[in-house]
Formats: sequence, C-alpha cells, structure tokens
Amino acid sequence: MEYSIQVNNLTKKFGDFTSVNNISFDVKKGEIFGLLGANGAGKTTTIRMLCGLLIPTSGTMNVAGFDVFTQGKEIRKHIGYMSQRFSLYEDLSVIENLELFGTIYKLKRDILRKRILQIIARLQMRKYAGSKVEALPLGQKQKLAFATALIHKPEVVFLDEPTSGVDPLVRRDFWNMIYESASEGVTIVVTTHYMDEAEYCNRLCFMNNGKVEIVGNPTDLKIKYQVDNMNDVFHKISHA
Amino acid sequence: MKAFRAILIKEFRHIFRDSRTLVLILTMPIVLVILFGYTIKNEITNTKIAVLDYSHDTYSKLFIEKMTASTYFQIVKVLNSEKEIEQAFQQGLIHMAVVIPRDFEENIIRKKHSEIQLIIDASNINIATTLDSYGRQITFAFQKEINQLLTNMQAFEINVNMQYNSRLESAYMFIPGNIALIMIIVTALMTSITLSREKETGSWRMLAITPVRQLTMVIAKIIPYMIISLICTIIVILLGIFMFKMPMEGSIALLTLVCILFMLTACAIGVLISVFTKTQQVAMILCMLGLFLPALLLSGFIFPIENMPVVIQLISHIIPTKWFIIALKDIMIKGAGLVTVWLPLTILIASTLVLMGLSVKKLISKNV
Repeated sequence: MEYSIQVNNLTKKFGDFTSVNNISFDVKKGEIFGLLGANGAGKTTTIRMLCGLLIPTSGTMNVAGFDVFTQGKEIRKHIGYMSQRFSLYEDLSVIENLELFGTIYKLKRDILRKRILQIIARLQMRKYAGSKVEALPLGQKQKLAFATALIHKPEVVFLDEPTSGVDPLVRRDFWNMIYESASEGVTIVVTTHYMDEAEYCNRLCFMNNGKVEIVGNPTDLKIKYQVDNMNDVFHKISHA
Repeated sequence: MKAFRAILIKEFRHIFRDSRTLVLILTMPIVLVILFGYTIKNEITNTKIAVLDYSHDTYSKLFIEKMTASTYFQIVKVLNSEKEIEQAFQQGLIHMAVVIPRDFEENIIRKKHSEIQLIIDASNINIATTLDSYGRQITFAFQKEINQLLTNMQAFEINVNMQYNSRLESAYMFIPGNIALIMIIVTALMTSITLSREKETGSWRMLAITPVRQLTMVIAKIIPYMIISLICTIIVILLGIFMFKMPMEGSIALLTLVCILFMLTACAIGVLISVFTKTQQVAMILCMLGLFLPALLLSGFIFPIENMPVVIQLISHIIPTKWFIIALKDIMIKGAGLVTVWLPLTILIASTLVLMGLSVKKLISKNV
C-alpha cells in the first residue's frame, strides 16, 4: 500500500498548552481523508504542521514521500493548501490569481496557460475570467481557491474547512470537484464541521483534545457506534 | 527569480488598482511641504525693535534712520541700558535689539575697532533667521554708504547675538523633517500595512506553503513601496530647493546614500511591526504611536531637542529619524562630506543592519 502521509507520535505544544498530543495516522494515496473534531481539537494545528507552516514539538511526519523536517522545501512543491477563509487576492482578476500561483510554482508558460483555460472551463467562469475576484459569489471564490491550490498538480492537498459558509448547492459542487481530483490520484485531507460531508470521505480521523480518538471509514464507524448517521457518531465520540 | 517577479508584479497591481491610495501618497509630500513651508516661512514687516544708542552722534543717528527707513523694522523703544534689553525681550515688546557702541562715529573715522550688535530673539527660529539676514543687509548697505565717504573697507563689525536658541537649530528643518516623515509614512507604514493585510486575509499562508522563501516574498512585496518612497523623497527635495530656496550644497551621492539607508531602516521597522501584528488596524496604530509621533516630536523636526529635559534628549538619541535629519541637514545646508556626517551615517548603517537582521530573524522564526 502506498501512503501519501505518515504521521507518527506527532506533538505540538504552545507553551504549556498541548494542542496536538502524540497522534499517529496514515493516509493512502488518492484517498479522501477527513479530519473531524470540535473546535480546538487540534485539526487545524495538525494540518498546519503537515503543510510545514508550524514546526512540531516532537514526532515524525512524512508527506508525499518526503520527510517534513529535512525536506521541507521539496514537500512544498508537492502540496496544495486551501483555508476556511477565502485567501486569494480580491483585487486581482481570476486569471491574475491563477497566473500568480502558477508562476510561483514554476509552471512553464504554455502549461500554465493550458491549465488556466481548463480551470476556467471547469468552473464555468468564462464571464468572470478577467474581472476582479471580489466580484465573484462566495461559492465560486471557494471553488477558484480549490482550483488554485491544485494548479501545480500536487500529490496532496489540504483543505481546512473549505465549505464553511457556503450554501448546500455549491457544497455539493465542491465535493464533486474533490472526487474528481481524488480519482486523478490526488490525496485529499479535509477538515469539516458538516457531518454530511464526513460521509463523503473514504476514511475519517476523529480528534478530541489534541488526541486521535478513532480512525475508520464512515460505514464501519456507524456500525461500531450503532448509529445511522455521522452526526451521532460525532456526538458519541465527543462526549465519550 | 520567476516567483520573485510574479510577486513584484502582483504588488504593483495592488498599488495601481488602489488608485485612491496611490494619489494620496503622491500628493501627500506636496501638501506637507507647502503646508509646512508656508506656515513656517514668515514675511517680515514692521518688526518691533529696540535701540540702545551709546554714541548719539551723526553716524549712529544715520544708522538708526537707515534701519527705520526700511519697512522691515519699527523702533518701539529707545533703551538706556543693557538691563533694559532683557526686560524688553521678556515683556515680549521686541524681537530684536540694536546696540550701537560708544564713540561709534569717532572710531569709524579713526579706523578703530567698532562693532554694532544685533540681539535677536531666536525662540522662533524662522523669524530670527529672517531678521538676521535683513539686519545684515541694512548694516552692509550702511557700511557701503559710509565707505564711499571714507574709502575704508571695513568700517565696523556686526555682531549678531541669537538669544534663546543660539544655534538656530531648526532653520530649513522642515524639508529634511518632511523627507523623514514621508519616508516613514510611505515605507514603514505602507510596508507594515501591506504585510499585515496579507496575514489578515490569509493570503500570506497561501504563499507560505509554496516553495518561495519568506524572505523573497517580503523583499518582492516591499520593493514597490521603496520606489514610491524614493519618488516622494525626490518630490520633497525638488520642492524644497525650487520653492523654498533650500540650499543643496553637498554631494547628491551622499544624500542618496543617506536616504536609502533611512528607507531601509523604515522598511525594517515596518516589517518588524507586521511580524507582531495580526491586523492592518493594529499595524497602523503601532506605526503612528511607535514611529510617527517620536519622529515628529523627538527628532528635532518641530521642537529643538536642546530645549528638552535631559532624559528626553537621551531618548532622542535612539531615534534613527533624528540622525537622518541631522545628516540631511548637514549635507544639504552645510555641504558636509563623509568626514562630517560620519556619526549619523554610522548610526544609520548600524540601525539599518540591526533592524533588518532583527526583522528577518523574527519573520522567519515566527510561525504563520
């Protein structure tokens, strides 16, 4: 089995506060891996460490075949990231944003142009292509951010609550995009507060107070806790 | 390098799209200079002066007549002793006192040493410099007149005595001061705002997970602001020279060096502030309180430092703006070279290195 992410005994402390406490899990290549948990459970901290934005206090991590500690720069070429807040540049146009990130990832000019055309076609954004991103509806913005995170065809993409504040219709659309990417072999790590979205994941990792409570696929988890939806699984785990 | 260029272009796009801010930044130096220039510059007419005439001879009367014949001065008091000079100043009756020594005429004719004393209230430096030059003009004109009679080169000397602020520290100060203020606003303030805006919107994080080094990102981001800051500086200097007759005696290369050093210092401070702040608002407030006010109050720009309490004078030494203004003034007004400005120059280089090092270190060690 090929793994995209391997995490062993990972810990992150902020002063006296232990945000992530000795967690271990693996993510397979092409998997949609959901990180769930209440606010403050340590999901975002975990994702930030995996992206190299935060330095772990202890433990080992391997992302896309590279060691996070010694090969940080290599990893950055092979990961994408999208946060809960829309974080592209509002005063730049759709094309300019895509061009910026494509250039930063050192894509060749002709390849970049082709990808931008693909993305615009896929997102049906032709009429918005030249206008400033601030003019886009929120759902479209989030889809654009996702496409931008994928512009360099990374092996792993991290989505930190990508659909918060987005209406259900757009969320479905968004998840279709996630499935498409996963079917192309992109490994996806996603955090979410929506339990219906958790059902869409291949495997889930529940975190509570900085620890991993349980890892498993949605069906197995429902059977284990003898409930029929993920919401109840979440409650049982959080209040255990 | 490609990434560097991409970020640089992006930053220029931000700046040009926000045209209102750009126009504001570019007109600010003009408004500031004109505002300071015209509020500080004083046309002097009918300034109240006092005369203490020890001679009461023909020449002394001629001299006094000459003084009052101009529209510049108006004699409001005739004094009888030195003591009364101080009193008249204290009561705010006069801005200048003219003292004509004993045997004025006799000494001139016998080619003996004689000197006229101009005592000027220099608490308002700008008025004082103008009074000084007007006083000298009239005295020279008078010398010329009596020289024609006597064919004597130097009939008598003038001794100008500035009271209350003897070194005339802040004359022309507003141009160097304005340069400093504008550099702080454009470089430090804009740098810290643009960096903290990226943090606030989360776009910094998007950039931070790319292979681009943080240092590259920051440098690419601040270069556009440095260019704008340089343009503003040139505007101020040109306005100062052509509109307000600010001298430019020293070397342009040295002036450029000093300006660039201060710009780097301001930049480093801007970066440092952005490291410690999460939002644009906080960055702005920090800039105002931590940079703008000290630069305004403690740099000698508006208030002469030597009139301040010793503690504050000591504090003023650690303000780079003060040294920048001193260097600018020395170069522009006195035409000073490297030898003269070595102290402010060294301090500026040191502060640039220390602050740059610190900000780079903080930036890189700080988690995003």
